[in-house]
Amino acid sequence: MRRRVLSFAILAASVAGCGVPDASFVYNERTESLPKEAQVGAKGADGQELKGIKTVIDENFGTPTKLVAWLKLPINYGGTEEQLSEAAGQDPAGFSLAEVAEADLETASTQPGYHLAAGRLLYMEHCMHCHGTSGDGAGPTAEYLEPRPRDYRKGLFKFTSTNEGKHVTPGDLTRVIKMGIPGTYMPSFMLLEDKEVDQIVEYVRWLSMRGEVEYALGAQLMADYSNNAIEDRIAGGEKRREIITELKETLAELDTMLDEAATEIGDAWTESNEPEAQVQPSIGRIPDSEESRRKGRAVFISAAAKCTNCHGPLGMGDGKQTEEYENNDETGSKWDEPGLHDKWGNIVKPRNLTTGIYRGGRRPIDIFRRVRAGVKGSGMPAFGTSVIPDEDLWHLVNYVKSIPFGPTAPAPAKAAEEAVSEPAG
Amino acid sequence: MEKKFWVALFIVWPIVAVVLCAIAPSMGWWFPPNPAEPGSTGSASELGHRIDDLFYMILVITTVTFILTHIAIALVMWRGANAKEGQKAWFTHGSHSLEVIWTIVPAVILLFIAFVQLDVWAEFRVISTFPEDAKKAPVAEVTARQFEWRIRYPAPGKVLQDTPQPDDIYMVNELHVPSGKPVMIYLQTQDVQHAFFMPELRVKQDAVPGLRIPVWFEAEKSAKYTLVCAELCGWGHYKMGANVIAESDESFDAYIRKLQEEQNYDGVVADSDSEDDDEV
Repeated sequence: MRRRVLSFAILAASVAGCGVPDASFVYNERTESLPKEAQVGAKGADGQELKGIKTVIDENFGTPTKLVAWLKLPINYGGTEEQLSEAAGQDPAGFSLAEVAEADLETASTQPGYHLAAGRLLYMEHCMHCHGTSGDGAGPTAEYLEPRPRDYRKGLFKFTSTNEGKHVTPGDLTRVIKMGIPGTYMPSFMLLEDKEVDQIVEYVRWLSMRGEVEYALGAQLMADYSNNAIEDRIAGGEKRREIITELKETLAELDTMLDEAATEIGDAWTESNEPEAQVQPSIGRIPDSEESRRKGRAVFISAAAKCTNCHGPLGMGDGKQTEEYENNDETGSKWDEPGLHDKWGNIVKPRNLTTGIYRGGRRPIDIFRRVRAGVKGSGMPAFGTSVIPDEDLWHLVNYVKSIPFGPTAPAPAKAAEEAVSEPAG
Repeated sequence: MEKKFWVALFIVWPIVAVVLCAIAPSMGWWFPPNPAEPGSTGSASELGHRIDDLFYMILVITTVTFILTHIAIALVMWRGANAKEGQKAWFTHGSHSLEVIWTIVPAVILLFIAFVQLDVWAEFRVISTFPEDAKKAPVAEVTARQFEWRIRYPAPGKVLQDTPQPDDIYMVNELHVPSGKPVMIYLQTQDVQHAFFMPELRVKQDAVPGLRIPVWFEAEKSAKYTLVCAELCGWGHYKMGANVIAESDESFDAYIRKLQEEQNYDGVVADSDSEDDDEV
C-alpha cells in the first residue's frame, strides 16, 4: 500500500514538474489596487456594458498566445500598411495574430503581424526566463539575480542614447541585446541573427507600451478609486454605493482615456527616434591628457556636479548618499532602509568607477550620454548642459576612464585620434 | 529454442558494432562538420588530426575487445544451450592463470595508450612545448562568465598585458584570430567553472576560478568556427556560445582597428558613419 502511495506521489510530482507553465500576461499593482468594477467592468446605470482596465488592455494587446496588433501603436508588426489595415478592418482594436509555430516562421513571413509573432516566439525562448512573460522583470530566474532584470512596463530603460525624458531607441536595445551588460546578468546574444534581434526589440517595445498604457489608465483612477482611497472616502462620510456610481461614470470615459493614453505614449516613443532626441555632443572628445583628467577631476568633486555624493571621493561608489534615507516617490514617505532606490523600488548602488566595468558601454560617447542624460530610472541624474558643458563633460569622461588605472596612470603621450592611425608594430 | 534466441541476440551486437564502426567515419557521425572544408568532418587544426588519430586508435581497440568478449559470451552460451537434458552444472572456483591474463592484457593496452598519447598531450597542454611565436604574443584574453565569453585584445602594435590597459579593445562572443599560424589566448573565468570548447579545432580546456590558463590552437584555414561552453555552468549553459573567426593577418588587423575605432567613438565623426553607431 505504502509503495503504491509513494509511486503515485512520484508520478504526480513528475507530471506536475513537466507541465508547461501557463503563459498569461499579468496586470500591474495599480490595476490590482482598484475595485472589481474598474478591473473587469460592470453594468452601467442605464444598462450599458462598462469596460474595466483589464478588459481594454486584453482587447488591445491580447494574450501571449493570441496577440493583438493594435495599429494605434508605433510598432512594426510586420507586413505592409494595406495588409495591416485590411486585416484590422473597421476594428479599432486591430486584429488578433494567429500563433506562429517556430517551424512556420518562414512561411508566415508574408502574413501581416508576423514580425511581432516571431518576436514573441524568440522572446519566450531567450528573454522570458529573466524578464518574465509580461516584461515585468519577474521571470522564473529573476528572484536569484542581483541586480534585478529590467521591468519594461514603466517604459524606462537605463542605457539610452537619447536625452533626458526620452525613450530608448531600437538601436539602443539592439546594442544591449548584442553586447550584453557586463556587471549584470544580461548576457550577450551576439549569435542571434540581425532579423531575430529586430523582432525581439519590437516585442520588447510592444510589452513596454502595454505596461505604460496600463499604468496610465491606473494613474487616472487610483487617486480616487483605489481600494485604499475608497476606504478613506467612506471613513470621510461618503457612501460606497455613491463612490461606485461615480466610478462607473468615469469608466464610461475609459475608451477615450485609453485612446488619449495610447496616442500620448505612442507619440513619445516615435519622438524618441528622431535625431533631435539623441544626446549629441557639440564638440568631439577632447584628447586624453593629464591636464584634461585634472580638469575632469575638478568637475567630479565640484559642488555643482556633486559626483562624490554618490560615487565617493575616489569613485568607489561609496558616497555619503548611500547611507541616507531617501524619499519614496510613490508613497511620499521615507524608505525603510538607507541607500539609493531606483524607480522600480530596488536598492541601487552607485557605480564603483574603479572596476573598469561599464554597464552602458565603455565608448567615450557612452559615458558622455550617461552623464548628460542620466541613467534613466536610477539615481544617476541627467546633468544638463548648464551644469556640465560639453567641454567639461569630455574632461570628466577622460577622468572617469582613467580612474580604474589609479592616479599614477600615465596619460597617453599622443592624442587618442593619432593612436588610432598608429601602424602596427 | 529459447536458449538459442539469447545466443543469437548476443552475437547480433558485435555484428552491428562492426558495421557501425566501419561506416561511422564516412557518415560523419563522430565529429562536427569542418567549416573550412565543406563535406568533411576532419579536424580544422594540425594537432586535431593527431587527436583524431588517437581517437580512432582507441575506437579500434575497444571495438575489437567488444567483439571478442561478445564472441566468447556467445560461445559459452551456445555450449550451454546445447547441453543435454539432466546434465548437471559444473561449478568452478576461479582460474589463477585466466585472471593473470585478463589483468595483464588490459594493463598492457592501457599503458600503450598512455605512452602513445604523451606527445600530443604535451604539445597541447605543457607550456614549454607551445609554439614560441604564439607564446610571445598572445592574441587575447578570454573571460568566461555566466553566460557569455568576454574578450580583451591588446591595442594594435601592443602586447597583451596581465591586467587591463587603458587602450585595450573589448568584444563579446566573437573571437577573431589569425589563421594559418598557432595563436595563444589566456583563459579565465569570472564566476564558476566553464570550459573553452572549440569542437572543430579539437580544443577543450576548463576555465577554473582563480587560474589564468594559456591555451594555444591553430586554425589551418580561414573560416567561422564554433566556441561553446563544455562544463555545465548554470541554467543558461546551453546558450553560452560564441563565434571564432579565423582570418588572414590583414583582415585580422583591419578588424582590430575597426573595433578600436568603434570603441573610441565620441558621437562626432563623419556624417556617413553616424548611422553605424548602433549597429555594433
